[in-house]
Amino acid sequence: MLARIAHDVYWLGRHMARAEHTARMLDGLFHADLQGSPDDPASVTLSWDSLLAIMGSPRSEGEPARRDDVVNRLTLDAGSPVSILSCVAAAREGARTIRDTLPAEAWECVNTFHLGLAGRDLSDGLRTGPYSIYSYVKERTALFWGLTARTMQNDRARAFLEAGGRLEAADMVLRMLRAALPVRGGDDEGADAPRRDGNALALLQSIGGFHAFMRAVAAPPNAEPVARFLLYERDFPDSVAASVDALEAALVRADHDPPSSPPVLRLRRMTADLELRSRVTIEGAALTSLFRSVQQELDHVDTDVGERYFHGRGVGRQTVMA
Amino acid sequence: MYACPEPAIRGMTHDMANRSATSPAGASPYAPADGYYDELFDAPGSPREFAVALAESLARLGPAGLAEAGRRRDAIFVQQGITFEATGPGEPSRDRPFPLDLVPRILPADEWATIKRGVAQRVRALNAFVEDVYHDRRIVEAGVVPWELIVTRPEFARPAHRVRAPGGVYCHVSGCDLVRDVDGTWKVLEDNVRTPSGISYVLENRIAMSRIVPELFAHYRVRPVADYPELLLGALRAVAPGGGDSPSIVVWTPGPANSAYFEHAFLARQMGVELVEASDLIVRDARVYMRTTEGLARVDVVYRRIDDAFIDPMEFRPDSLLGVPGLLRAYRAGTVAIANAVGTGVADDKAVYHYVPDMIRFYVGEEPILANVRTYLLSDPKVRAEVLDRLDELVVKPTSESGGKGVFIGPAAGPSELAAQAEAVRAAPERWIAQDLVGLSTVPTVTEDGVLSPRHVDLRPFAVYGDEIRIVPGGLTRVALPEGSMIVNSSQGGGSKDTWVLAAPGADEDGDGDAPQPLDAPTMPEMRQAGWREQAPQQQQQQEERG
Repeated sequence: MLARIAHDVYWLGRHMARAEHTARMLDGLFHADLQGSPDDPASVTLSWDSLLAIMGSPRSEGEPARRDDVVNRLTLDAGSPVSILSCVAAAREGARTIRDTLPAEAWECVNTFHLGLAGRDLSDGLRTGPYSIYSYVKERTALFWGLTARTMQNDRARAFLEAGGRLEAADMVLRMLRAALPVRGGDDEGADAPRRDGNALALLQSIGGFHAFMRAVAAPPNAEPVARFLLYERDFPDSVAASVDALEAALVRADHDPPSSPPVLRLRRMTADLELRSRVTIEGAALTSLFRSVQQELDHVDTDVGERYFHGRGVGRQTVMA
Repeated sequence: MYACPEPAIRGMTHDMANRSATSPAGASPYAPADGYYDELFDAPGSPREFAVALAESLARLGPAGLAEAGRRRDAIFVQQGITFEATGPGEPSRDRPFPLDLVPRILPADEWATIKRGVAQRVRALNAFVEDVYHDRRIVEAGVVPWELIVTRPEFARPAHRVRAPGGVYCHVSGCDLVRDVDGTWKVLEDNVRTPSGISYVLENRIAMSRIVPELFAHYRVRPVADYPELLLGALRAVAPGGGDSPSIVVWTPGPANSAYFEHAFLARQMGVELVEASDLIVRDARVYMRTTEGLARVDVVYRRIDDAFIDPMEFRPDSLLGVPGLLRAYRAGTVAIANAVGTGVADDKAVYHYVPDMIRFYVGEEPILANVRTYLLSDPKVRAEVLDRLDELVVKPTSESGGKGVFIGPAAGPSELAAQAEAVRAAPERWIAQDLVGLSTVPTVTEDGVLSPRHVDLRPFAVYGDEIRIVPGGLTRVALPEGSMIVNSSQGGGSKDTWVLAAPGADEDGDGDAPQPLDAPTMPEMRQAGWREQAPQQQQQQEERG
């Protein structure tokens, strides 16, 4: 297939996954932020500055970020490339370009998603009920993935679409993990029972993994078990490990010669490495630095993908202010 | 952002409070009902200090905004299936969205501290009482509570005799119903140490409020309630016999037809444990198992939401189809923990209630922090005569009912009802108690057209007893929706409110080292952006068209 088409379809997947995860993150934090105080272990200590950091925006000096500003910039600011509105507009623009590659139902889904979002009185919606906007985004992205799974030929185009979606999902989950759960070192906490961690709970609920966690893990949703779950649990669809697995499988389908593909080989090393690390206990700072190195590896995978399939297009990093 | 406390609440002067409480043009300001304690307003149009910011937000929303938010609330509840079956007189039963009122009830930190200590003290005493009743009966020997009264309670469970619950905990989950009298003092109306329900609404109400009216939370630091399932799971794990790393815990429901089934499923899902019915459980060799696809699996802890009378047809009601034969055998053998323990009903009996303040003095060695409502035991002929004399001023309750069933309210009764109740009391005095009528406090509540009007409320805080007693901040506030009504039960037209316990003012400033600080976010790589096309060719494409 054409490198340009592959690139566009890959980015369609990324934009849809980015919009979904941004909505989940904002919904989760918006809800959690309304409650609690710093001396309450069940409270959430994630600030709105952290959200900007998750989206790669440098932290502003002085005044802490205000909720309304951040929510605005990340939801409906057409001028900010990481806002949900911009993501969906970009997804729609990409889908329009490759209409012939997508099943009609999938294209219509993206198109009505964009029209529905742009047609809403967003600022009014944000003021009274951001929940309805975020749940609309979650529903529409789920519909998109459901429709492609039902109606799209399982060919290379679909493989690139899924690869993009999975890479973005893994990256977003890692960003949230790094911002929400810098697991504190074991020394300064003493041998006390682990404190209930509001951030971990809020993060799990945002990602939609609370139920899965409670069924799979015999531990309360504290920082460390939650971090391990979201990193290693291959049976949870939105964990980093599950996304890395699926990304590798998608690239194997997309590639003309997988054994010689640098991104595939890199992903196989990552899978083996994650599997190995999940068997040993890593705590505190080591876990935090593991997040960082996995994120860097994924960044390299993205570069590899661009070089192998897109002739180096789309890998030049643009500085983006959230 | 948590580092700086919002100054809006504490910095507000009374003058500002008065000004800010004026309602939108045309509407008259909210006026508390005469003769009752209003929790948010101390005079017409004048909110209490901690309620100023809330009153402002409500005024900004206005009646139209509140009515509109109410419609969104109903839609969300129906979508999520949070409904209950309501039957009006002569109407077919139908599912209605759970009536959550959009005006929260606020409990300032110091007030909550008192309630919390009072409830913990009471639960400690009730738990000690259950242990004592089925073992040494010290309180009977000391002449504090008569044995005759205890043993005649319908909920007194002979099969629980000399069964020591793991960890000495009997009342794992309790809910005390508190009310506020006309002078604002808190009183305990009744105790619930069998299977108190309502906690799922506490959690769902909070989620719904933050989704529907997030603007009301502005300027408040409300203590979260979301960790209740974790508290409960921890308490259940703590009492598992034989310890072990991952005891097998189940929630036992009578079944989907039960009115609290939503809550049973909610708790099982939130704790990540199985929700079982009687047909899933089986006892073999004095051990409890559940039937799974892989054969029988051991069960260590049963959180049961079913009354004693039905749990084991071999020991209690033989006609129970909901029970598990042999369960009590396993319980006595100590192979399974049952929460709440068998026989706790003796402690929340309404005649035993009269003795709870004495129990607190006896077991805990402290003066009760929360007072009882004045209660009359009708088995005493002198007291009975006095009560019958002024029956039209009092409330009469059957001793072993719950959910507001059979409650007689003197001031609201006609002559024939009064006569009938007097007859019932004379026929079986030990089955009734009388209490002074408490003028329940009010909280502003949204009426159908979006206007605020005072409605009476009570409060049910939930205590979880594992290795220690923990109480979720707030609890379930029930509100009587018909004007003037004091019956808050949801089966009889009651609704609920989100209950906000405010974080202690100054807690942020003290900065003792334990408080988690807002986290410094790590530096992340920039977000990548798609980049196949340059700007220039696109512009040329468009020019091409125009040209």
